[in-house]
Amino acid sequence: MATDIHTCTTLARCSLTYTTLARCSLHAVMSLPSEESIYNLIPKTVTPESKPPRYKSMFSSTVRSDGRQDKACSKTMGPAKVQLSSPQDFLKKHSKEQKLPEREARATNRECKPQRPLVPRHTEQPQMGSKSNKNYVTTNAVNNIMAVPRKPAAKYVDTVSGDTFDLVASGLVPKYTNKKDYGKVPGFLERRREDMTAAQAEYDCYIEESLRRGQMEQVTEEERDTLLAGLKANWEDLHHQYQGLSVITDTAPKKARKERMEAEMKQLEKDIELLERHHRLYISERLS
Amino acid sequence: MGEAVDVQSLELVSVIGFGGNIPGGLVSHPDGQHIIYPLGCTVIVEDIQKNKQSFLSGHSDSVSCLACSTSGNFLASGQVTHMGFKADVIVWQFKERALYCRLTLHMVKVQAVSFSPNDKYMASLGGQDDNSVVIWDLEKKEAVCGSQAAMQSAGPVYALAFCNTRDDLFVTGGNHTLRVWELSPETRKIVATDCNLGQLKRIVHCIQIAPGDDYMFCGTSSGDVLQVNLSTRLIQFYGPQKNKLSCGIQSLQLLPNGGMLVGSGEGTLTTLLPSLKRTRTMSRVSGTVSSIALSKDSKQFYVGTGNSQRYVVELESFSPQLISSSHCSKVTDVCFPQKSSDLFATSSYSDVRVWHADTGKELLRLSTPNVTCHAVAFTPNGKAIITAWDDGKIRAFYPQSGKPMYTISDAHNKGVTALACMSDSRTVISGGGEGQVRVWEVNKSGQHMTAALKEHTGTVTCIKLRNNDEECVTASTDGTCIIWDLIKLVRSQVIFANTMFHAVCYRPDECQIVTAGTDRKIGYWETHDGSQIRELDGSESASINGMDVHGTRFLTGGGDKLIKVWDYDRGEVTHIGIGHSAEVTKVKVAPNGCHAVSVSVDGAILRWKMLPTALLGPPSST
Repeated sequence: MATDIHTCTTLARCSLTYTTLARCSLHAVMSLPSEESIYNLIPKTVTPESKPPRYKSMFSSTVRSDGRQDKACSKTMGPAKVQLSSPQDFLKKHSKEQKLPEREARATNRECKPQRPLVPRHTEQPQMGSKSNKNYVTTNAVNNIMAVPRKPAAKYVDTVSGDTFDLVASGLVPKYTNKKDYGKVPGFLERRREDMTAAQAEYDCYIEESLRRGQMEQVTEEERDTLLAGLKANWEDLHHQYQGLSVITDTAPKKARKERMEAEMKQLEKDIELLERHHRLYISERLS
Repeated sequence: MGEAVDVQSLELVSVIGFGGNIPGGLVSHPDGQHIIYPLGCTVIVEDIQKNKQSFLSGHSDSVSCLACSTSGNFLASGQVTHMGFKADVIVWQFKERALYCRLTLHMVKVQAVSFSPNDKYMASLGGQDDNSVVIWDLEKKEAVCGSQAAMQSAGPVYALAFCNTRDDLFVTGGNHTLRVWELSPETRKIVATDCNLGQLKRIVHCIQIAPGDDYMFCGTSSGDVLQVNLSTRLIQFYGPQKNKLSCGIQSLQLLPNGGMLVGSGEGTLTTLLPSLKRTRTMSRVSGTVSSIALSKDSKQFYVGTGNSQRYVVELESFSPQLISSSHCSKVTDVCFPQKSSDLFATSSYSDVRVWHADTGKELLRLSTPNVTCHAVAFTPNGKAIITAWDDGKIRAFYPQSGKPMYTISDAHNKGVTALACMSDSRTVISGGGEGQVRVWEVNKSGQHMTAALKEHTGTVTCIKLRNNDEECVTASTDGTCIIWDLIKLVRSQVIFANTMFHAVCYRPDECQIVTAGTDRKIGYWETHDGSQIRELDGSESASINGMDVHGTRFLTGGGDKLIKVWDYDRGEVTHIGIGHSAEVTKVKVAPNGCHAVSVSVDGAILRWKMLPTALLGPPSST
């Protein structure tokens, strides 16, 4: 509660700062400002809740009095009567211990599949004196005669003294130019380009769509026709009235009427001309 | 008049107050059980465990410095006086809580006091007008020697500290001066050596000397700490070089691990490493950290701030916990709600606070910066706190959340000085500095002035209403008290006296009023014709500022710092309450009559125990 003073005053920054220091009761904090009362600010003294009296069984006195009576409690049945074992089966050492079952001998890997031949036993005698009839000299000679001559390794010589070096590793023989995809654009770049063009197309599409949405509305051909027809009908109407006017315009109302009709017809003519001159018409806002 | 009654003393229940502006004012006693702090002219010794206070009063004016000896046997306190007069240093015996000796040599102000480690000597430092340092022999209770505290070219000296092991070495520090003094008792001389700070120009506000007496640490107004070697008198280093404490280091306390606690003028509390670098541990308190006092076990420390708040801070967690708060300037008014004696509100400069009477805890604070509240009142239904401010506004607040309810702007053009609320809680009567009494109707639609009663020519100081709301009485400094008819809204009676009335009260049966003012007289007057019935001498020396009637008694308090309980009928003082250290501004008896609260100029709020009395009967025919 105490530290609140400081924090509240620093937090409140209006011209009238205020601080509630009392966290007196939940009711006080939650009450509406119109229902506030100074008497709620009095810190309520919290009386510790008194514990209910300890439970006491209604039978406790009976139990106690029964227990006090002299009863031979363990003399009801006596010890169990069982057959005694014969003196030969006397109790032996460890005979009462629990015996675990014999562990079954498990076959190990080695026993299953001997990887090497067994070492000769000490009783075994090595076989001595065995002889082969193969004529190694002729066999070798025949093999050599029949052998396909080996291809010499590709080498190059770059000094007068005849030092040779491996030709393939030297880079003098074209190797990479013979590759299948030499000189071609790698596949991942192709894929990326495709992605980019697709994204660009989508974006363009979106821009076009948004532009189309934002642009002014075009008057359709039918609308234009109806407009023109309506205007012309109005003009006809006015013109008919105009023709029916008296020849002499002697009074002010007559003059005013004639002038008004003339002005209206002029405006209609202007509008009709505008509609006829242009075929594409756009309207910025349609009045509903 | 009856026979003379022996005057009993009024029992003081509790004091809410702390003079927070005094540097190093909050002192922790070495026994770990008491903290000592000044309040106006009094020094308060508070038992932390029992929460019991005892008072050392003997100063004639505000206490300006406080120190406790290392053994804890002695306390010393210095004071300020008026220009040209000598200011006392009083040494107190702690156990007996008694005055040991009064040492008078300094002019105008005693800036600081410090005891030598073996309680043999005491050093005292004079203020700016005195500029001297004096060594006192505590056994002989006399001065050993004295000297000019700083060179003429240097500014005032603020801090003084004795060594921890030697009785003959102490230091002083101030505006561009830092001196180490050596005392030779045989020749009765003190010799000063100025410390060489090189290029640094600093104003030292607090000094602490390391336990081994090899270094001293000086907190400066620049926000850094100087570490000075005491043997060579050379500056060792200073820090923190970066991120200095804003508004200067106002208090400093060394820790057993070699680091130190520092408090800044801005209200920051932090610790510095022995290398004088800042650490991460930091917290903020409200107001200037004027004093830090380490507890005996060094696990926590007490902090006193310029806003008169006291905190306790655990060194581990470093989060300040408020122990007590109080007003730091003159308390102008006090009032109880009509139906409760458990809480009361006090008004002061820039805030109004609501206190719980039993615990002295602050429940609510309504702050309005830079204006003074002159009067405070609760509406009788308790749904608003109405306050009168010297910017001419009446402000009402919700009593629980403290949110503003309404403001009457320009209620009076020289500030609102008095306030009362009728029992319907909708009509407010206010008095202003220009002398008008105005009646305001407060509705849901707004606040409207129904009448402006222009009779007084001086400040309206007190407004009291009758129970039936048909009449009120106002007191003014122009020497009149006026009884107003609130139905016709005209003056019905006026009382003249050659005084400035400060307080007026109805007798409970409302056939008489009692007045008090600067002429030290208490007057009894008839309400129906305004004639004087009786006049009593309320005080021997100073004006009476506050008065409240309850039952057969009434209370007065005033410039003589005493609270007097009077028997109404006999007109005699039955009890006297001694405890205030400054002029009493207002007194109020709780609605149940079991206690009374008085407030004073130094910001103290005192609660007195009263015995409830029977209500006053009809006036006896004399």
